[in-house]
Amino acid sequence: MASTTASPAPAASRPGGARTKRRDRAARAARWPGTLIAGTVMLAVFAGVAVAAPAFGNPLHQNLITGLSPSGLPLGLSWAHPLGTDALGRSELARLAYGIRTSMVVAIVSNVTSIAVGAAVGLAAGFFRGPVEAVLMRITDVGLALPYTLAALVIAGLMTAGLTRVIVIITALFWAYPARLVYGEVLRLRHRGFVEAGEAMGASGVSIASRHLAPHIFPLLVTYSPLNAASAVVFEATLSYLGAGINPPTASLGNMISDGQSALSYAPHLLLVPAVAILLITMSFLLIGEGLKARNPDLRRVSWLGR
Amino acid sequence: MARTLIRRIAFGVIAVLGVAVLAFLLEFVVPGDPARAIAPRAQSAAVLENIRIQLHLNRPLIIQFLDYFGELFRGNLGTSYVQRQSVTSLILPRLATTGYLALAGVIAEVIIGGTLGIASTLYARLRAAVAAVNLTLLALPQFVVGLVLLLIFGFRLHMAPVTGGAGLAEIVLPALTLGLVGAPWYAQIVADQLADSLASAYVRTAVAKGLPDRYILWRHVMRNVLSPAITMIGMDLGAYLSGVVTVEVVFGWPGIGLLAVDSLQNLDRPVVMGTVIVGAIAVVFFNLVADVLRMYIDPRTMQDPA
Repeated sequence: MASTTASPAPAASRPGGARTKRRDRAARAARWPGTLIAGTVMLAVFAGVAVAAPAFGNPLHQNLITGLSPSGLPLGLSWAHPLGTDALGRSELARLAYGIRTSMVVAIVSNVTSIAVGAAVGLAAGFFRGPVEAVLMRITDVGLALPYTLAALVIAGLMTAGLTRVIVIITALFWAYPARLVYGEVLRLRHRGFVEAGEAMGASGVSIASRHLAPHIFPLLVTYSPLNAASAVVFEATLSYLGAGINPPTASLGNMISDGQSALSYAPHLLLVPAVAILLITMSFLLIGEGLKARNPDLRRVSWLGR
Repeated sequence: MARTLIRRIAFGVIAVLGVAVLAFLLEFVVPGDPARAIAPRAQSAAVLENIRIQLHLNRPLIIQFLDYFGELFRGNLGTSYVQRQSVTSLILPRLATTGYLALAGVIAEVIIGGTLGIASTLYARLRAAVAAVNLTLLALPQFVVGLVLLLIFGFRLHMAPVTGGAGLAEIVLPALTLGLVGAPWYAQIVADQLADSLASAYVRTAVAKGLPDRYILWRHVMRNVLSPAITMIGMDLGAYLSGVVTVEVVFGWPGIGLLAVDSLQNLDRPVVMGTVIVGAIAVVFFNLVADVLRMYIDPRTMQDPA
């Protein structure tokens, strides 16, 4: 950060000169930080795998003759089975591809649902004030005070296993934080000139909320959503690991890790393969989040200590 | 200050009651018959009916609800269906066990995260490396870190026990898991706060006065890190005490989270309710304590934001 302070930029530079080019490059780097590019590329790869999952083989086919060692143990990495096989002789690569598909669907759908619910609650609470605000924010407090995993396990008992259950649980638990976030932002914006001007001109409440407040809240949500998606991927894996999300034989990175745990002492790749996949998916979302944050000029600061 | 405090306490009590009501209702919609869970091999309907009468399960929902909350206000969480003893006596020792782990975990995250944060702010050369470490730790679920540690130190190096329990040797890996997963958050806060402080006018003044760097760092800069870190510690203690379910499951740590998972499987409603309520109380209480401490350390935060 210190390096940006010194050397005041020359007032004018020749058009088309090296300086302009360098500044163009700097401007592009500020719009597209390396973290953002890396995250987007990684995410695109995972999206591709998710879409093309069937191309990686059948995740349910148990190959009990060639898929297991003579003593009946899972196979390690080989050309026939690039990521080995699991305890039932199923191709780990095919299961991985389908597990990634599950994670991506959960990340996208529950990210949208939880943020939409949270934003609606926060906007309504911040905008209407009075009793609406009191009730909505106390409900949000309840949402924030819920012991996450325990509440998830209780809700899981109400539904049959599968994708819908995971998405419902994540939405039910993940809406409260964005609600809090949006609420705070609306309170901050409410007394800004443009909102008061709208009110003075007789604009309706809905019009102020949708045309003046929502556009300011949108960037906040865009910055928050990669983090939310990353948490959703992690939470899906956690739920499926605990048997409260997606159950076998359907592949999910979480239940694959659970399978891997029982083979921990003799086939560690069954734990490591899905673990690395979760790591990379979550990391791609976090990189995007970091990249979006790096684009925010408000966050640039320069140290007075010169280091 | 007193008004803010009373407001906060009132909101906290409302939140805990809300959680209790929600948990009660959810528990009753969960399919499954506790009587059958208690006597799985009972053949006659009369036996099952007898159990239901004993547990007052035959009464209308609203009566059960009023009963439960009447007792709750007297501090009574009911009696376990399965273990036939009071829920409080089941939960308290488990809460203590989880408490040790929570404390060890928070200490681990503060040490690891604080080191990472300070290193990345003060030593520019380390910044990229620390960012990579942070990102990796942030991207890993708790149970994955736990299992990988178990695989390396338990199964491969035979340095740590793999059988579960709540002793001094058993606490190392779960605490390290919590520490590693929590560390990036602390690193982030510390780095953020340090950068903020280093760019502030009072540090400029201190530099202009000719104070030595070391003095400025310790007397002016580090103090500002304390207040957000304390908020974070409070949030974590609350969250961990409400059950570090996955870590407890992975390592077989007999805490409140493991109790909740077992009770959920046995349809032991009073115990599940008890753990959820105690968990919510922990979350709310520690957040409150953290807020009060922060107001004390940093009077600027005295005003209530919301």
